[in-house]
Formats: sequence, structure tokens, C-alpha cells
Amino acid sequence: MPIKRYMDRIDAIEKVLGQAKYAGDIHIEGMLYGVIVRSSIPHGWIKNIDFDKALTYKGVIKILTQKDIPGENVYGIIKKDQPLLAKERVRYIGEPVAIVLGEDESIARRASHLIRIEYEKMDVVSDPLQSMNGGVKLHDDGNLLSHRKVIKGDIDRGFRESDVIVERTYRTTWLDHAYIEPEAGLGYMDEKGRLIITSSTQNVHYKRNEISRLLAIPEERIRIIQATTGGGFGGKLDMTVEGYVALSVYHTKRPVLIRFTREESFLSNTKRHPLLIHYKTGAKKDGTIQAVKVDVTGDTGAYASYGSTVCLRVAVHATGPYEVPNVYAESRMLYTNNPVSGAMRGFGVPQIAFAHESQMDIMAKELNIDPLEIRIKNALKRGSKTATSQELGTSVGFIETLKAIEPFWKGRKKSGTRGFGLGSMFYGMGNTGISNPSSARITLTEEGKIALHTGACDIGQGSDTVLLQILCETLDVDGKDVLLVRADTDLTGDAGSTSASRQTYISGKAVQLAALNLRAYLEKEGFYRGRGISEIYRSYRDRGFPPFEGYFDPPTEALDMDTAKGKPYATYAYATHMAEVEVDRITGYVKVLRVYAAHDVGKAINIKNIKGQVYGGIAMGIGFALMEEFIPGKTESLDNYYIPTSMDMPAMEAFIVEDEEPTGPFGAKGVGEPALIPQAAAIANAITDAVGVRPYELPCDLERLKKLL
Amino acid sequence: MERLNIKVNGKDYELQVKPWATLLDVIREEIGLTGTKEGCGEGECGACTVIMDGMAVNSCIVLAMEANNREVITIEGLAEGDRLHPIQEAFLEKGGMQCGFCTPGMIMSTKVLLDGNKNPTDEEIRKALEGNFCRCTGYTKIFESVKAAAEKMRGEI
Ligand code: FES
Ligand code: FES
Repeated sequence: MPIKRYMDRIDAIEKVLGQAKYAGDIHIEGMLYGVIVRSSIPHGWIKNIDFDKALTYKGVIKILTQKDIPGENVYGIIKKDQPLLAKERVRYIGEPVAIVLGEDESIARRASHLIRIEYEKMDVVSDPLQSMNGGVKLHDDGNLLSHRKVIKGDIDRGFRESDVIVERTYRTTWLDHAYIEPEAGLGYMDEKGRLIITSSTQNVHYKRNEISRLLAIPEERIRIIQATTGGGFGGKLDMTVEGYVALSVYHTKRPVLIRFTREESFLSNTKRHPLLIHYKTGAKKDGTIQAVKVDVTGDTGAYASYGSTVCLRVAVHATGPYEVPNVYAESRMLYTNNPVSGAMRGFGVPQIAFAHESQMDIMAKELNIDPLEIRIKNALKRGSKTATSQELGTSVGFIETLKAIEPFWKGRKKSGTRGFGLGSMFYGMGNTGISNPSSARITLTEEGKIALHTGACDIGQGSDTVLLQILCETLDVDGKDVLLVRADTDLTGDAGSTSASRQTYISGKAVQLAALNLRAYLEKEGFYRGRGISEIYRSYRDRGFPPFEGYFDPPTEALDMDTAKGKPYATYAYATHMAEVEVDRITGYVKVLRVYAAHDVGKAINIKNIKGQVYGGIAMGIGFALMEEFIPGKTESLDNYYIPTSMDMPAMEAFIVEDEEPTGPFGAKGVGEPALIPQAAAIANAITDAVGVRPYELPCDLERLKKLL
Repeated sequence: MERLNIKVNGKDYELQVKPWATLLDVIREEIGLTGTKEGCGEGECGACTVIMDGMAVNSCIVLAMEANNREVITIEGLAEGDRLHPIQEAFLEKGGMQCGFCTPGMIMSTKVLLDGNKNPTDEEIRKALEGNFCRCTGYTKIFESVKAAAEKMRGEI
């Protein structure tokens, strides 16, 4: 049962009217437009840049390069290794070199084409295995960004005691978030000389911090506001346009808008990490998994972004949602001259899920056990120990997700080239083994409203609505009594980023705690006996504002550097998807006909939003499985990067499992990434069921599948 | 500069436009209606869909001058005062959006579909929206919205 207070999306009305203001919709009189000049080669020294023609182009106001950066020319969410504008060297195609500012967008764009950059080309590292050999050094501290191991039990003994061993290699490629709104942001200087930036983003506070360092001005002089954001999926976590907008406003003192074209979006945004996964599983005759050994090599591209996060998350999730006594999972991230890979819905877990779920099916076949049975047999449950030796105490609804799918699985009817496949997953909520708190603040207004201030960015997933629902449920008030102040560094505290499926769980809890504080106060003040908020507001104003604040940092434990023993997450989400496909043996075309998806969300706050996330995740999973592939140096438009359209969508049904998580708000966990994670795996297994050949490489597009058939 | 006569949402405009300006540029930059979005600028994504003389077009690949002496309807032209168009109502009620960036284009394509076909089949709905990409919703809630809109427009709900 979901919580009592249901609310429709609060942003729906302005969206259907076309009134929602995305960053690129904002217009300020006299604003300039910025266009980024990018490297056309993957690796080289910049020998000379010829600006002459561009500078004299009518309407060009200024051209900025790294020399114009007053502070430190470096940023990065975890490791600061990426220049805002290239210094003397470029490391990937599309690396920003200069900003052209013009009176209008077409002027800036035309002028940007007139800039000639001369390079001295360097040897290109195009693959992580080549990178590992270290022939060409990409960064001062070497080519290995990150190397993590998860070790449990005795792996050799595990394989010795196994009756059957399955060993395979899997590959995935670069994917693009392809949110329909390309990156955009607008900045200006206010009367007091403060820098104000409104952008399409997943985290305002982080960006303020980066800009402060780039411009060497204190954070108090900067205000970042999130505009209505047209999708993120991880791609708007890193700095996108903000640094360029900030630098441009700093130098021109005029409002500046930068919005990327689709081509620029493809060139600049971070990609899903391509992974090479060697996977070895050992099991007893009865299907009990004894040992899992995984070796992952990832391509993080030219700069770090979230590479180390993905590296660790992949290792921690390598076994999938199964209890395995002996584990040795090793994962490496290497720098190359490829596009920067970073956060994309699931941080590497969709890739590793493709591998562990394929392994599960291969093992089931070897042992002649039903794929559903083998999953149930090995499933994590209460009391299980994960690969990091974390004992799972609460909210482990994995088996219930399998049970929810069971009737459809049992009722499936194979015929011709129609096949069925399962995919399961678990996913840790929030950041891995590090503190990742959120805060919330509630104030009362003179008009009698209860105002929630949250730094959480709603990027379309619906956190604005969910957080207000949590507020209303805790206070026993109606939607009309509350209002939201969201994602503005001047008006809201830090809620951390909208990533890692953490906002409902972590920010939701912070809101609940703040609301409980307020509730105690309102009880004393007679609100529940009929005294209005306006009246209470007036009395409480005279006595000074009591702080109605909430703060939540999920209880985790740092992981051991050598074995990753520890408690990386306070809780996990679980899910199982089942896909039905039809394969055309001649063309290699795979049609996904039907998907059932069951998700343990802890507690449903907003069923419509959850289902929306699940259906959207399924769509993205279909793209990952069958059609999406970013090719560096080639992909530049939605004409050669295919995302699923209305014609590609199957019939879908989502089931919600609620195994409440005591640390979450009303028991809730998250669902944003879990929605996607098991989908590609389920499709790969369904293809195998349909035509008897197994894809080891995604996407399993026409060409690849035809080769297999 | 060329002279463009265009009717947008019932209002006549006479504008001076650059010969290479697109209809999308004119709608967003000259007229200032920013409900119509640009997702690709290349005729792929459908975010810029508007209705020109009854047809759904990708305004990013229509030259402004091709719209000379024509009538265009954008998302801002659907509601009458406070009264939402039934399609808008349906998208609102069914939750046919998440980030909402594709929504104006979706709604405009839906209008052209339903103006010509009061009771479209599932397949016809999919087909009509094939050129409108959505990265968030998986389309299901959009299909439901279109169906509900059709019912509303037939006066059934
Ligand atoms: S913006 Fe016109 S089709 Fe994409
Ligand atoms: S709702 Fe985000 S693209 Fe459709």
C-alpha cells in the first residue's frame, strides 16, 4: 500500500501549457550567446590558434581561452583532472578550447568556424588494454584511474568445490544519455555584482563550488538555480555549460546564454562506460552458486568524471542479487583518448547485470534448472551476506520480485522464433561507502503556507512531487497548504546530487525529519486543533524562527581498500524483469513484444511516478540492448544514434513490491536506475531463448545478431 | 532580410526575417513563444512540432519563408483562456510526461492525429507519434493520454 497522500505531478500543468521555462527559453535583453570551439583531433599539442578572422567577424564580442581563467583551470566531481578549456594539450575529440561570444547565436557559431587550431598530433590511445601497456602516458599520474577489488571467502576453493564452471566474456559500448533537452544555461551579474546562473542541471551546490574555484571568487558571490530540466540520466551531473557561462559573464559583465546543439551535446557529454567483462561462475549440481570471479576493464576516456565510482560500483555489484560465498571481483578504469565516460543511469551496473544475468541463464541451462528456480535458489534474502560481507538486515524484497513475475514465467508459451528471458538486479541506494547526506528546511509563510526548501533537483523523475507528498503525509496536510522552493543555492540547503536513485530515499528522509520537527511545533501551537498557519506564523515571527530542519546521511561504512569489505550502502533496491521477444532470423531484427517488471521500492510514495520510471527504464534498456551505440568521431546526431521510438515499445506491466526499509521515509527506497538495470539482460536472455544464439556484446543490433545467426 | 506574413495562434504578424531563419527561430526568437522546443535542429526528434495549415511539421527544418501567408498553431495556441484543450487535460490527468521537454511536440502531433481520426487504434497512435522522441516515459503514459484525449474529444468523458 502506498502512502495515503497522493499528488499528481506538480509541474504537469505548466508543462502541458508550454509555459515551463527551461534554461534555453530564458531571454534577457542584451544577452550574448556563447559557442564553444572544440578540438577536432583526439590527442595532440596545441601549437597555435588563429583567432584573427573570428575576432573581426561582425558581432563578435570576445573570444576566451584558458588564459582568461582567473582561478584554477581544472574541475572534476571526484578527481580534479579536467581543464575547463584546454591548456596546451587536447585529449579527446570535442575537448573545449575556446569560447566565442557574439551578439547572436548564429554570429557566434559562424565565427567559431573561422578559428583555426594548429596541432602537433600525438599517438592516440584508443583502447583501455592499449592504455594499460602505458606506451603513451595520458596524465601525469599514469593511465590507471582506478583499480578496485571485492574479495570474499576463498575463490580457489569455491571453484574446486563447484561441479560446473561457466566462463564467458562480455562487451558493452558507449551510450549517450540523449535527453531530449540539450545542455543549456544562462548567467548574468546582478546589481550587487553577484554571479547568477540558471541551468539545466542535476546538482546546484556542486556546480557553485566548481565555479568558485575556476573564477577564484567566494561561493557567496555565486548563485546557481536549477531551471526546469529536460532529463539528466547522469549527463548533467558534471559541469556542462555552467563553467563557460560563468567565465563569459565574468569577462563581459553581460548576460550570456549557452545552449548546446545536439551535435555539441553528443561531443561533450559524458558517456556510459564501455566495459570488457570476463566472468567465471562455479556452481554445485543443485544450482547453488559457489564462486564468482569477475575481471572488468573499463574505458573512462580522457578525464576522470565518475570513472572511479563506476569502477567500484561494478565490482560491488558484480555477483548480482545472489548470495555467493566465494567472490573475487576486480575492476579497472583506464584513461584513453576516447570521450569522457561518466555517470549514466546505473553507474556501470546495467553493464555488469548483462553479464551476471547471462551467466545465470547459461548456468541454468548447463544444469538443466529453470532460470527462475536458479535465481530463487541463490537469491539474497534477509540474513544473506553480500560480496562485501554486508549482512542484509531489512528490506530485501528480491524473492518477492521473482514471485511477482513467476505466473507470467510459468505461463509463457514458446513458439517459432519467440523467446522469453529474465533479468534481475540489486542496486545500492546512494553513494558507495561514503557519506552522502541531504538536508531540508521548512518555513511558514504569512499567507499561511508551509514552504519546503530543498536543494534536490527534479530532472523530470518527479522528486518535487514526491518530496511534497512526504511533507504532506508527515504533517497531515493537503497539497494546497504547501509550496516548494527548489534547487537554488541561495534559498535551499545542499541535498546532494540527483543521482544514484537517492532523492526519494535520502532527501525524502531529510524532508520527513524536518517535517517531524515542524509537526511537534505545530502540535504545541494548536494547529491540529484548528489554529491556522498564518496565525501561528505571526506568533512565531516575534519569537524568532525556530529551525525546522532535517538532515539524513544513510548509515554506511567505508570499504576496505584491498577487499572492499564493509557496508557500502544502507539499503538496496531489487528488481526482476521478464521480456518476450520475436526475432527475425533473416534480418536479425528483434521486436520486444512484452515486458513484465517487478520492483521492490520499499514503500511506494507515488505509484504513477514509479511506473513512469519503470516504463522509461524499460525503454532505455531496449535501446541499450538493441540499438544504441555511440561511435567516437562518427556519432553526431539522432540520425545516427538510435533511441527507441513509439514504434519500438512493447506492452508493459509494472508490479510494485513493498518490503519497507526502516531508514527510508515511510519505508521508501529508490527506483530511478533499477528501472533500467535488468532490462537489457532480460532481452539478451530472451533472444537466446528464441533463436539459440547468445549475444555477448551489446547492442545486439541487426548486424551483430545476423553475424551470430 | 525578407518580409514574412504569418498567422500564429490566430494573430497576424509581419516580420523581417533572415532568409535562412527557420520557422522555429521565428516562433521562439522573434515572436517569443518558447513552448516549442529544439531538441536536435535536424528534423529527428519532433520536439519542435507545430501545426502549419493543419499539418504537423518539424519547425526546425521548415524555413520561415516557407510559412509565408500560412497559419501556424503552437502549444501556446491550444488553451482558451483558463480552459485547457482536452488533449492538454488528458496529458495532465494521465501524467503523460516526466521532464516535459517532448510534451509540447507530443501534444501538437496528437492534435493533428485526433483532428483527422476521432478514434485511432493503438497502432495508429504509435505511428502518429513515431517522429516524436521521448527519453523519459517509455511512451506508455503518452499513449494513455492520447486515448483519453480522444475519448474527451468524442465527448465520452
Ligand atoms: S528540434 Fe526539430 S525535430 Fe528535433
Ligand atoms: S518527458 Fe522527457 S523527453 Fe519526454
